[in-house]
Amino acid sequence: MIAPPSILPSGSKTLVRPPAAELLQARPKGPGLLDGYAPPPGVFDEMLGADDKVRPHYRQLVSTLATMSEPERERRFSSAAQYLREAGVYYRVYGAAEQGEQTRSWPLAHPPLVIERGEWAALAAGLIQRAGFLEKLMADLYGERRLIRDGVLPPAILGRNPEFLRPLANQASGRPLIRFIAVDLGRGPDGRWWVLGDRAQAPSGAGFALENRVATSRAFPDLIRDLKVERLAGFFKKFRETLLALDDGKGLRAGLLTPGPANETYFEHAYLARYLGLLLLEGGDLAVHGSSVVVRTVDGEKPISVLWRRLDSDFADPLELHPRSRIGTPGLARASREGGVEMVNALGSGILETRALLAFQPALAKALIGERLTLPTVATWWCGQEAEHAFVSENLERLSLARAFPQTIGNEEQRRPLDLGIRLSHSERLLRDLDIDPQAVVGQEIVALSTAPVFVDGKLEARPVTMRVYLARHADGWSVMPGGFARVSSSTDPLAVAMQSGGHSVDVWVSSDREERRVSLLSNGAAFSRRLPSAPPARAADNLYWLGRYVERAEAATRLVRLFTARLAEGERRGALEALVAELLAEIGVDALLADPAKGLLDRAKRAFDTASRIRDRFSPDGWRALGDVVRLIEQHLDAPEGSDLVALSSEVLTRLSGFTGLVHENMYQFTGWRFLQAGRLIERGQLTALAAAALGGEETPEGGLEALLEFCDSRISYRRRYSVDLSRETVLDLVALDPLNPRSIAFQVNSLKTLLDELPGMRRGESLAPVSRRAARLAVRLTTGDASEANAKFLSRIADDLGDVSDLLSERYFTSGPKANADRLDVE
Amino acid sequence: MIYDLALKIGYEYPSDVKDARHILRVRPLTERGQRLVTNRLTITPQPDESRADRDFFGNALDHVLILPSHDGLSVTMRARVEVNRARPDLAATPDVAEIRAMAAAARDSDGDGPMHFLGDSRIVRLSEPLTAYAAETIKDDQPIGEAMLAFSKRIREEFDYAPGKTTVSTPLEDAFARREGVCQDFAHIMIAALRGIGLPAAYVSGFLRTTPPPGKPRLEGADAMHAWVDVWLGPDHGWAGFDPTNAMLALDDHVVVAVGRDYGDVAPIDGVLITAGPQKTTHSVDMKEVG
Repeated sequence: MIAPPSILPSGSKTLVRPPAAELLQARPKGPGLLDGYAPPPGVFDEMLGADDKVRPHYRQLVSTLATMSEPERERRFSSAAQYLREAGVYYRVYGAAEQGEQTRSWPLAHPPLVIERGEWAALAAGLIQRAGFLEKLMADLYGERRLIRDGVLPPAILGRNPEFLRPLANQASGRPLIRFIAVDLGRGPDGRWWVLGDRAQAPSGAGFALENRVATSRAFPDLIRDLKVERLAGFFKKFRETLLALDDGKGLRAGLLTPGPANETYFEHAYLARYLGLLLLEGGDLAVHGSSVVVRTVDGEKPISVLWRRLDSDFADPLELHPRSRIGTPGLARASREGGVEMVNALGSGILETRALLAFQPALAKALIGERLTLPTVATWWCGQEAEHAFVSENLERLSLARAFPQTIGNEEQRRPLDLGIRLSHSERLLRDLDIDPQAVVGQEIVALSTAPVFVDGKLEARPVTMRVYLARHADGWSVMPGGFARVSSSTDPLAVAMQSGGHSVDVWVSSDREERRVSLLSNGAAFSRRLPSAPPARAADNLYWLGRYVERAEAATRLVRLFTARLAEGERRGALEALVAELLAEIGVDALLADPAKGLLDRAKRAFDTASRIRDRFSPDGWRALGDVVRLIEQHLDAPEGSDLVALSSEVLTRLSGFTGLVHENMYQFTGWRFLQAGRLIERGQLTALAAAALGGEETPEGGLEALLEFCDSRISYRRRYSVDLSRETVLDLVALDPLNPRSIAFQVNSLKTLLDELPGMRRGESLAPVSRRAARLAVRLTTGDASEANAKFLSRIADDLGDVSDLLSERYFTSGPKANADRLDVE
Repeated sequence: MIYDLALKIGYEYPSDVKDARHILRVRPLTERGQRLVTNRLTITPQPDESRADRDFFGNALDHVLILPSHDGLSVTMRARVEVNRARPDLAATPDVAEIRAMAAAARDSDGDGPMHFLGDSRIVRLSEPLTAYAAETIKDDQPIGEAMLAFSKRIREEFDYAPGKTTVSTPLEDAFARREGVCQDFAHIMIAALRGIGLPAAYVSGFLRTTPPPGKPRLEGADAMHAWVDVWLGPDHGWAGFDPTNAMLALDDHVVVAVGRDYGDVAPIDGVLITAGPQKTTHSVDMKEVG
């Protein structure tokens, strides 16, 4: 057996890992930026050369940082952090089972990793060669499979590979099957970059790389300029053009297919969809007709022919792929096979992430591209072969064991998209499999990663670093994103770099010698034409509609809680009025009789926030943040020691909610999506006002009931202006129910709703009315012709019921297309 | 032997269903001593789309789409099939160790290549108890054919044929531990055991003659679709069917419909439904000898 080339420095066969304390003593120095900066011996440091001098391409960065005072540096870092916070960049972390998953803010460290342009050019050339190689590998595995027939690859690598998707086995047609990939790299002690693994299933991180760049530009605008750092936008612009051109000139929109909000990188999907102008689609948004794919929108089904797939292949189609997938589209595999939709990357591309393939690189390269790969690959031995199995078994102390094949769904060791998995993990299972199922295991050389400087507690420390670089395939070949996404370990241990276990990301700067023209996705110099946004998918509209309802419901609940507590706070006893308010609160899911009714408010606020998280691509980060603030406020209140003021909390929550409403009203593009959100608010407000008016303004209104109703409807001032008389039932009800000019009245909601419905897709003036519009129109007439004297409890409850019917009809007309109820499979015993 | 076959599968849904997409794998194959003479498939309600196709393993599929709201599905497949399989000379087959080595090296990557039938599939997972079960019975120096027939007999003897005790979703490890099940369980158990010792094994769904020839006992599993196991007997003999439910070779009493790695590849009707509760199923098979 020929051992693969070694990444370890010659002569050294064991990894040196001195404890951190020893390192610090090794280089005592005077005060200064590099004071105490001590890369472990035997590894390559990105900043310091072997002569202990700062490498030339780091000099500018180091000298600029050195002239900054510590507070100045902190100020810059916090402006980057502030940007990330405001943009709502987060990452989902799977915690212990009892806490469930958590989202956490994006961990960006400074300074960026700087790569010298000459070195980058060589690296990029190697990566482009590798991408071409992977493209050919994919085409062979899903086409002729000559590599198997000719014995270059052992049959088991295909035969038992869970990512070899047989329904797509013969999909190769000459068009590239992969168009967007990532390569994970680490630099060895010899200073060369080594390939640690390929990402072709649905590589994540490119969106985070963009956000990192924006954040570091906030922190170091001067350095970015001085170092002439290569920009990223050009890469994405070209990729976007490529995606749009893939539909062969049909001029359709392209979509980004996401597994949905539960996915850990959903933020990135929403972000990239917004950045590239793609529709953010879930499996349920799509349907297959014949071999073509359509999006279920509120304006009917619209064809789509290009999908940037961020959903794992096996989940994409429950009919031909994983039968238990609830997030796929039945028939999608066939549509893809028959050329009805172009998937980027093709279904089944996860096979390129098979670690066992790394053990056969030279032979594969020779067979596929007829030349050597210039970038070396981390030494890998596949234990499905006898000699390799023996070698790995005998060298366990200096190798790491890993899964030879991509993991299947439901496996506890499931791959995490941002986890590089280079770790010394001789887990018991792997060791056991090495004995009983060696084909499932590879041995890999432990990579002594290079270190890069990052600030930890105000001081630069040398931390092991890996880099993920992205490549895109255009009509004229592959191109590399100039920069990338680097990860630094949270420990000095050069063997562990994983985001999940507390690592940080850093931006990657490629210094260039030329001033780059700014490229932006915003303008392309083409002739200007204003185009209306296309109709939103039914699911998105559904969520927008419910977001509108939930926000309004949270607001109503808050007003009622304030009413409920305000009088008690003034020393009044709990009476008939409080009982009515508590009943109203119970109807919208808030238990006022709990020790702290804020618990119920928290549920309401969370419901709104969760709904908003499902459609993050549809409104601004500011709006999203306003809702997040509401949740946080109530949580803080609940966490606070006793005595926190509920009335004050309610007022603060109302302020934030009206902030959200204001943002939506002022900033959201007022087209179809906005209309559904608005319809939700109007219906909810109309309904709740009718219910409150029936309860508080009924024939036997309790003492204080009319004031409470005016308070709930925020109409006290309007009342004073409009009627100089004292409170009377009729005038109050006229104002809150029938007055078309009071923006809080039921009549106002219904009239606005009627106008809004006419503007929804498919509603055409002059044609017979859809049931939903007819219902709303009748209701409007009833309110216009109504008289305050007939506005009794029965009249008002009927209005609430009618609005419920309008809601049902609206849902039936626009939203009932995606699977919602229990999905069941046919079984034949 | 010529048979007239009728398969009827019906579903009643607890609530209306629309936009239902299905894959049917109910048409017998023409292959290995079996010829499809005539064939008719009737689907109610009338599908809006219906397309015949072949999968990776060579099985005949029908892709079906039913758009309007409906509260049930019925599928009737009638076929005339001629079966004339040569009985393999089991004693003349290569020995088990040879098959294992040839299977590991076989480079045929098409749908009937042994490489696809050696590892885990969705339903069949290799496990130590099942591997041990196979290793106990099957010796390296036995001719593979004889070893397979003997192994089928062992399963037939040690397991109770117990309809209703297991369902399509019972893990095969459970059926193995309880030593009971139906044809599907026995087939999965045999497959997992054989793959565990490196022998290529495939799942076969099909039909079994309903009435036995005069003087012979009625076979188990004849009143519904049946399942058995294809085992690779080397490049010269190819694949041959063994029926662990009836401890016999699958020859002229068996009609093949589909072959795959496990039930998941060959389920007669596949589809995801959005319903409010469990569906009711009816399923019947009739296979008469007509010549």
